[in-house]
Formats: sequence, C-alpha cells, structure tokens
Amino acid sequence: MAKWQEKIKKWLIKKTELPADALLDLPRVTMIGQIHIYIENHKGVVHFSNEELRLALKKGQQMKVNGEGFVIKTILPEELLLEGKIRKVEYIDV
Amino acid sequence: MKNQWFHFILGYVKVEVKGKYTELFLRRCLEQHVSIWNVQRVDDLTISCYLLVKDIPKVRVLLRRTGCRLHFKQKFGIPFLLKKTYSRIGFLFGVFIGLFIVFFLSNVVWTIQIHGASPKLENEVKKTLHQIGVKKGAFILLLPSEQEIQQMLTERIDHLTWVGVTRLGTRYSFEVVEKKIPEESERLNPRHLIAKKKAVIHKVFVEQGKAMVEERDYVNKGDLLISGIIGNEKNEKILPAKGQILGEVWYVSEASVPLRSTIVANTGRGMNKYYVKVSKLSIPIWGFQQDGFSKKETLIDTKPIYFLKWQLPLAFQKKKILEIEQSKRILTVEQAKKLAIELTEKDLKKQLPSDAEIKGKKILHEKIQNGKVNVAIHYQVIEEISQEQPIIRGD
Repeated sequence: MAKWQEKIKKWLIKKTELPADALLDLPRVTMIGQIHIYIENHKGVVHFSNEELRLALKKGQQMKVNGEGFVIKTILPEELLLEGKIRKVEYIDV
Repeated sequence: MKNQWFHFILGYVKVEVKGKYTELFLRRCLEQHVSIWNVQRVDDLTISCYLLVKDIPKVRVLLRRTGCRLHFKQKFGIPFLLKKTYSRIGFLFGVFIGLFIVFFLSNVVWTIQIHGASPKLENEVKKTLHQIGVKKGAFILLLPSEQEIQQMLTERIDHLTWVGVTRLGTRYSFEVVEKKIPEESERLNPRHLIAKKKAVIHKVFVEQGKAMVEERDYVNKGDLLISGIIGNEKNEKILPAKGQILGEVWYVSEASVPLRSTIVANTGRGMNKYYVKVSKLSIPIWGFQQDGFSKKETLIDTKPIYFLKWQLPLAFQKKKILEIEQSKRILTVEQAKKLAIELTEKDLKKQLPSDAEIKGKKILHEKIQNGKVNVAIHYQVIEEISQEQPIIRGD
C-alpha cells in the first residue's frame, strides 16, 4: 500500500512539476555560501555541538552538518537555521 | 525569529541548560511550541539559548522531564527595564521635575517691553501693569487676556491714546501712543475773531481788540466779532484780538423711542468654569455645578500652553457664564416722550463743546407712528462762537 502511494507521488512529480519536498516529505536545504544553512522538514535535533549538527529525517535517515562555530539561530518544529562555518553536509542511513 | 521588538516588549532571558540530554530538551521544547533561538554549545553537557519570559513555567516542566538544569545568564526586555527603573525611581522623579520646571518657566512672563513712551509715561505704564498683575514671573495663564490688559491700561492712564498689547511666548510688548497735548503758542499773530456760526450774541467780553457787536445782535457765520485793528485811521494799530463771545445758538435734535421693546441686561449673577483643552476636547477642572440660568451669555478665554517655544495641543480655558435677563418694556406715551427728550439732550451734548450751556428747549413736534414716539426738540444753547481769522495786510 505504502509503496503504491510512493509510486503515484513520483509519477505526479514527473507529470505535474509539483515540488518534490512537499509531496515526498523530504528536507529542503538552502545554503548561503558557507555561513548559513536553512533546513526545512526536519524531524528534530539528534545531536548538536559547535562542530556538528545531526538532524533526524523521515524513515530513520539522518543529516549531518559539519563545520565550526555553530549557532542555531532559529529553531521551529519543522525549520532550522544554522549559522557558522559549514564544511560538509552529509546524509547517513542508520 | 518573529520579531526582535516583539521579544523585547515581552522580555526574554539568556539561559544555560545543563544535562545529559540537552538535544532531547530542545526537541521537547519544539513540541510544546516554546520559541528558542541562538542555541549554542558551551561544553559537552551545556547549551546556552534564549527564551521568552512567558515560556519559563513551561520550560521548567520540560527540564524536570529531561533531567536538565537551568541557569539564568542575562535578562532583556521591557519587563526587566521597568523593574530597574523602579529601583531608580529618584532618577525618574528628577526627569519629571526637570520637565515640569521647563514647562512652568515657559508659561511665565519673562520680559516686559514698552515702546514709544516717554520715560515718565513708561514708568506709569509699568506701575499700572504691576497693579494688573503683569510683572516678571507672573503666571501667564492667570493673567487677563491681551485685550483686557489693553482696555485696563487705556482706562487707567489718562494721557494714553492707544496701547497695543502683544504677547510673544513669554514676552509682553506694549506699543504706546502718547496723547500729544499741543502747547499753546505764546506769540499770537495779529487776528480778528469772527463768528463760527449763526447766533444771537449773548455776552461780549473783550480782552484785546475792538468789539464790533453788542448783546442781542444777530450774527451770521463769518461776521466780524472783535476786530484786531484799533485806533483811528491816523493812528492804526494791529494786534491779536482776544476775548470771549458767547452766542445763543439754535439746534434741533430728533429722537424716536419705541413703545414696546425688549431689553437684554445682565442680572449680575454669573460663574466661572475652567477647562483644560486637549486639542479639541475640553476637560472641566473647576466649576462643575450647573449654572441653572435660563438665559445666559458665555465668554470664552482660551490660553494655549507652551513648552519652550512650541505651543502644546493643550490650553487653559476659562468660560465666564453670565446670566442675562430679557424683559419686555412697555412704555406709556408720556414715558416714551420723556425718554425721547432725554435722548435728544444726550445726543446734543455729544456735539457741543464742554463749556456750552443749554438755556432752554421747546418741543417742535411730536408724533406717534408705527408704535414709536418721534420728537423733535428745539434747543437754545449758549456757547462760544468766536473763531480766529488772521489779519493779512498786503502793503
């Protein structure tokens, strides 16, 4: 059933040019150079330190952001704005 | 971040959260819609972040659940500022007193300028102003209006023709016009005295010159009364004629008095009401009781209040409410006639010089027309009729 739904969604994206993040519940990541990263559709902070931010995504996936001098400027249930010097953005399957 | 100002108004704090599960705490906060911003890692067990004051009770519950501890670091926003100002109430008080002093001094007379008066008159004007209350340091709001001051000055000082009163902020300036009393010229030129108007001579008094008329003579305008040429033809001498010729002059004065009329008069009862005017709104501050006058007249005197040179949208207003009485006056024909005669006499006296004397009067005709009594009175008046005429001799 879930797979069938997934297929329909993918087909819809292809045919109707609807944004993928809205339909598939995927994170939308906006970066401004190295200094800002804006992540929508996350599922909560797993780990946060000055050098690393780990966010939960759907289906147990995680996103890892590495860098220096991190500050979470804003944090809302689905959005997050991180400031600092960003070196790496990585998806991890746990 | 919604708005920095919004946060500032509500008040916010910088806190440190210490515990093993700080990330869990963050997640719980989001679930409970607690807004958190500027999250930073301090050390392995501690994060610092900003919170709204109103969310603190919620946060306390979450802390207990996640086993974290809270330390307050800094406080921002209006609620804290207010607390601080309260502890420095003296300072605030000082600011208000300062403002009040400036405000007070802007509404006080600072300078009085008098232009166009001789030193003697200036002194007199100053004295009179002092009596009225216009002096340095007087509170402008309590002074009479400029118009009233002007009226008082002209009433109290005799040789004052006109005085213009203007107030510019805290300065009163008076523009004085003095009555010029012409000095009588001592050296008189040779002259005759001639008749000013048609009259019957009543009395002749010659100081210098030759009388050309006698009592009971009838003279026309321009007739020679006292000649400035004396002596016989051989020994002629020209001098300024001096003297007094009183003549009996006739006047006709008319007046009409309606038999029925309404008269408006003050009963003498009245009251003052005081208001503070805020732009268009008048707030009563004194005189709340009802006047209870059935008919009244209201005089309004508004005084704007100044702060330094700026006029505030505030004003001090004084309303003078006077009770008036309207009464119907019904006169009998006799009364109306009497009144009309009095009127004619008053009217005549206005035209006559002060030394004139009414010798007799006669009613020429009286008529009742359209509810009015019309009278015409013939007056015999004794007055000075002489007028100077210089003697010009062309040799």
